[in-house]
Amino acid sequence: MKQNLLTIVIGAVLVIIFALLLFVFQVRQSEIAVVTTFGKPVQNITEPGAYFKWPWPIQNVYKFDKRIQNFEDKFSQTLTADNNNLIVTIFTGWEISDAKEFYPKFLGSVPAAQRALESMMRNAKNAVIASHNLSDFVNSDPQQLKFDAIEGEIKAEVQAELSTNNYGIQLDFLAFKKIELPESVSATVFSRMTAERQQIISSLQFAGDAESNNIASAADRLAAGVVNNALADATRIRGEGEAAAAQVLPVFQQNPELANYLLRIDALKQSLNQRSTLIFDERTPPFDLFQNLPKNSPTN
Amino acid sequence: MERNTQKNGLVNLMAAVMIFIAAFVVTCYVNSLAGQAASIFLGLGALVAFGSWFQMRLEENERLEKLEIDELARTKGDSTLFDAKESEVFPARRSREQFEKFFVPGFAVLLFILEAGGAWLLWRWIGKTTSGIVDVRAMPSLSLFAIFALLLFLLGRFSVTIARLGDYRLLRPGSSFLLAGAYVCAFTALGIAGIKTGFPKTDFWIARGLCVLLGLMAAEMLLTLLLEIYRPRVKGKITRPLYESRVVGLLAQPESLFTTAAQTLDYQFGFNVSETWFFQLLQKNLAYLILAQLAVLFLSTCVVFVDAGEQVVLEHFGKRIDPPLTAGAHLKLPWPVDKIYRYRTEQIQTIYVGFTPDTGKDEQNVILWTVAHNQEQNFLVANRQTAMIQSDNTDTNDTLKAPPVSLITVSIPVQFQITNVMDWAYNNGDPTNLLTDLATREVVHYLAGVDLGDFLSHARLQAADTLQQQIQAEANEYNLGAKILFVGLQDVHPPTTVAGDYEKVVGAYQTYFAKILNAKADAIRTNALAGALAFTTTNVADATREQLEVSAFARAALFTNQIPAFEAAPSVYKQRAYFKAFADATASSRKYILLVTNTQDVIIFDLEDKIRNDLLDLNVPNEQSP
Repeated sequence: MKQNLLTIVIGAVLVIIFALLLFVFQVRQSEIAVVTTFGKPVQNITEPGAYFKWPWPIQNVYKFDKRIQNFEDKFSQTLTADNNNLIVTIFTGWEISDAKEFYPKFLGSVPAAQRALESMMRNAKNAVIASHNLSDFVNSDPQQLKFDAIEGEIKAEVQAELSTNNYGIQLDFLAFKKIELPESVSATVFSRMTAERQQIISSLQFAGDAESNNIASAADRLAAGVVNNALADATRIRGEGEAAAAQVLPVFQQNPELANYLLRIDALKQSLNQRSTLIFDERTPPFDLFQNLPKNSPTN
Repeated sequence: MERNTQKNGLVNLMAAVMIFIAAFVVTCYVNSLAGQAASIFLGLGALVAFGSWFQMRLEENERLEKLEIDELARTKGDSTLFDAKESEVFPARRSREQFEKFFVPGFAVLLFILEAGGAWLLWRWIGKTTSGIVDVRAMPSLSLFAIFALLLFLLGRFSVTIARLGDYRLLRPGSSFLLAGAYVCAFTALGIAGIKTGFPKTDFWIARGLCVLLGLMAAEMLLTLLLEIYRPRVKGKITRPLYESRVVGLLAQPESLFTTAAQTLDYQFGFNVSETWFFQLLQKNLAYLILAQLAVLFLSTCVVFVDAGEQVVLEHFGKRIDPPLTAGAHLKLPWPVDKIYRYRTEQIQTIYVGFTPDTGKDEQNVILWTVAHNQEQNFLVANRQTAMIQSDNTDTNDTLKAPPVSLITVSIPVQFQITNVMDWAYNNGDPTNLLTDLATREVVHYLAGVDLGDFLSHARLQAADTLQQQIQAEANEYNLGAKILFVGLQDVHPPTTVAGDYEKVVGAYQTYFAKILNAKADAIRTNALAGALAFTTTNVADATREQLEVSAFARAALFTNQIPAFEAAPSVYKQRAYFKAFADATASSRKYILLVTNTQDVIIFDLEDKIRNDLLDLNVPNEQSP
């Protein structure tokens, strides 16, 4: 009897649990639910709480996260109005506004809804970017940037598409996440950045050469001035010496014949100062002594 | 009464095969990991049921053959029938023996391979797969697995009882598999129910548990096969089927564990412990004890202990209760009426913009521009210089213009704290991811409007503050309930591809200054040497002047003294002066004196300098000579 009671209690508990699972469902604060009767959506549940339903297969409950869900589209390449290639990804926040509309259109699949939303986003993104120049996206003057305006245009396009066909989805926000250049364009930008650096390097190199040349030539000029001044001073000093020496010339005027003779003698000395070859005949003094030498008589 | 167990075996086989197929289809339908493991288990059960049923048939044939032979032996005792070979007389027995000798070990090896392979492959698959249960198909699948469990339980329990009471050893393996299969299906249903009730990992962990079970079965089968090699063969002794799993038997009949434990205790203590009042009480009230445990477990969900640094969001039938629970003990209604969700609100969390931290490179002590230290991303940044060049060249075709942008690598950790847990939990499905997206967007936006040169130099200090304010503003706008604590521009540099060129510019600056310094040094040297030369030149001039003056005065004095001598003997004085000067001047000269003057001879002097003899001896090699 005791064993049977235990079995009955356990069985009753299991039956209650199973019945609760079949007849009652709970919707969380963060959830939205749709109840279907024989597959037809009949009730939207947006408020949290415990609710009754008929068991499967009569009624089914499909619950979805009603919080804002964010996802980003594919990093896709597009063209701006001034023919610049960009790779852009945008992220968006959306929520299920009407589960009764949402469920049949996407079979309750959030990924399917995101795929549909992504198609619309990419379409709008390419169309809007193609109507703007690159300078609207990247500009050294922040006032010229049109980030917010472009995001607003894309969002308006997607929102218009959603409201036209009533997907049961509400778009809360949309914004750029990344903007990049294609790899080939990035390579050219790298080349240009390298060239800019090279330009600075070259300008520094030649500026250094020019600066050092300037310094060297200034120094040479200064040195030449100093040397030239010195040479001028030297010339002047030597002239002063000449002038001082000339003051004694009247002394030589006392006997010009002797003075000139002595000058010639000095000139002769100085001219024969180097190693030289002289050819004399017997008439040249002192060799004229050879003229009167006694001759040897011939022998028989 | 002899019972024909063949029918039971056949029923078990058919039930095992059908439920295996049904479970496999439901598993594919709902995409349950535990369902996959359960399908493998049920498939093995079907194989075992087939093996045991086949062996039952052979034994039944043998039994009938024996009855027939006995009957013949009674009626024709002296028949020559028994003169024939035994294999010809007992073909059914021979078949059964051959089956046990060759097929059963091979079948056991096959089971081992399937169990081990299934456990290994499923373990790997579970670890890698990211797909989960299809939510909308969960309830029907749960119900179907519950039905499978019920069917298998009823049939398995019936077969196990028959096998135990009648000691039908060949019915036991299949029955145990059916009963254990019932529990496996029940666990699979629980896994799906767990996901439906907000425990998303239950299916995963039950699948892992079933993998472990398959692994244990494989290990047991391997051990049984090894022991079978050394088992003494005694003719006529009935052995346990090789493919029967004790692990499965224990799972199917856990009460047998209790009996085994009681027997072990009796043997160990030397008296019947299992007959003591405590043991008897424990055995009788075990179910109540387990129920009490479950009740305590259930009641324990009425108390919440919130740790320091965390906040708990309480939901009553899914509806949030404000305010959140803070550190301490709290009472609540039991699960599933009240549910709680914990959040680490005090913890400083970090998201990363522009890079993905590479844990393998965290050990690096040196961070260089030219070496990528994380998985870095490049960002577009404005370039004023290029834009100005393009605006100057207005005649350039638009399509030929290079984009007036540069690229930059930034690594920005953003630290934040949850300040409003309700906003954090209920406004966004993935707030951390949204905050990362918003921070990335603000960085992209900021860099798109700043010049590269400015950002790398003076604008950098201001950038961190600006970014922090902008990210905080975005977080507030989207009601994330988070406070941005810190935005770190820890690593801002040109991409590694061009970083080397930026370093070369620094080198060029150094070279520039070096050239100027060298030139200044040369200038100092030149000026110093020029000063010295000037000093020398003027000094030489001074000396020359002094020499001119002194020598002029000396010569004048000499001349004054020479005049009286000249006037006294003019010709002698001149001759004397001449010869003295001549002797001095020509002392070192080569002199030729022609003494004969009255001849007509032509004398030719070769005054050419002769080359030195040692130079004439030089031997110049002749390239023409061999």
